[in-house]
Amino acid sequence: MAHYVMVIDTRTCVGCHSCTVACRVHNELPVDMIYNPVTTVGPTGVFPNLHMVHIPLLCMHCENTPCVDACPTGASQQRSDGIVWVDEKKCVGCKACVMACPYGARVTNKEKGTVQKCDFCMDRVDKGNIPRCVQTCHQKARIFGDLDDPESEVSKLINKEHVVRLLDELGTKPNVYYIYGLEAQNR
Amino acid sequence: MKHKHDAWGWMLAVDFFFAGMGAAMLVIAGITDLFVGEITTSVLGNFLAPIFVAIGACFLILELGRPFQAWRVFMNPKAILTFGAWNMLLAIGFGIIYASFGVKAFPWSDMVVLRQIFAVLSIIVGLVVATYPGVLLARHKSRPFWNGPGMMVLFLTSSLVTAAAAHIFCGLLMPAPTEVVLAKLSYLVVALLFFQIIIWLGYIMIKITGTTEREAKAAERWLKGDIAGSFKIGFLVCGNVLPLILLLFANTTAQAVGALLVLLGGLIMRHLAVKAGEDRTWLPGELKYYSKLPTGDEEFLKAWKC
Repeated sequence: MAHYVMVIDTRTCVGCHSCTVACRVHNELPVDMIYNPVTTVGPTGVFPNLHMVHIPLLCMHCENTPCVDACPTGASQQRSDGIVWVDEKKCVGCKACVMACPYGARVTNKEKGTVQKCDFCMDRVDKGNIPRCVQTCHQKARIFGDLDDPESEVSKLINKEHVVRLLDELGTKPNVYYIYGLEAQNR
Repeated sequence: MKHKHDAWGWMLAVDFFFAGMGAAMLVIAGITDLFVGEITTSVLGNFLAPIFVAIGACFLILELGRPFQAWRVFMNPKAILTFGAWNMLLAIGFGIIYASFGVKAFPWSDMVVLRQIFAVLSIIVGLVVATYPGVLLARHKSRPFWNGPGMMVLFLTSSLVTAAAAHIFCGLLMPAPTEVVLAKLSYLVVALLFFQIIIWLGYIMIKITGTTEREAKAAERWLKGDIAGSFKIGFLVCGNVLPLILLLFANTTAQAVGALLVLLGGLIMRHLAVKAGEDRTWLPGELKYYSKLPTGDEEFLKAWKC
């Protein structure tokens, strides 16, 4: 069984928000819902040594899922390949998962009354495709693949680069890794 | 259209207030029944206890995005919300049965052992329901103000103090068969109010000084931020200090006003505690990102609608 992860290279992300738009179009999200915002930190430093970094955020598809544990209806589920998703038929919109998620990755759909989130485009992944945001990124800042496959790009990157996971101290074991370097390098 | 972060709303705070108060009323009624004497609290209070829990459950259902699917919250035994929902249901059932023993018209009102069994059951589920909101909030690792066992003590204390005040008020409306408990209950409320002031100040002080920067920032909101006024004047002064003084008087009006102020303080505390959960451990650049998004009343959005 695969173990899907995403690696985000903040050294190459230019903050174009293409992934945000592609995600919203693909998932047909209402105007007030965003699954994967791209935040900007900076500019920091003193001229001419200025630095700015863009950080695409999304559901971290944690191994230890506080959202799944909090869900009283069983709507929030985790597949064996690590993808965390919401069964909308079972969701009652109690927001227990919204409050439990440390990453703010879950949003309420006020029209449907349910909670929705990024599911790594599992409909596409199941057909052998990559998530829409990964496909859209022209900088190739998002890399998706199977961590259990030693030949996969994500495996190599995680082993080669210095990667960090957001709020790792909470023990959620996120499956989204960030390459966070000050110097841009060619891959 | 609102790009604010999703969080629980005021209806959950009202649920916590009513359910906590009703559940703790069951606890007080049950304990006094077992250790002081048969039905020593007002029958009105005993009946209102499960009704308050039911009112809390109604607000919980209204808070849901799909209220008509509310039965689904009973489905995942591993989730603490499910645990709470089941216990609320049991508290309503046990509470109504227990209160019915106070009505002489019912043929089972003389069955002492059965009454005591339901008193014990009411105490157990009552304690669970009175405590569980605190446990629910305290388990949120990324909500810096909630996280930690202190929240459980704060909620249990508030549930007990509001329950005792509610019993006093009910006793004034419909006196109990004997005054032995109700006459002393105001001293319990005074003691609990004093304890509540101490633990709240201690909790905020610990959060500000003794833990992480995120927790300090979240706690500062209670002393200097947008909820500081409601906390200091609404909760501490009106909900604690004033009733603490009023309940020391033997005067009926002072007792009634004091009891009502305690309830007001409990409601304010729940509202503020739930509101404090809006503060999450923010990710890099997240607040700046969301602050730039439209909130719905910008000129260009209005123009689009025209």
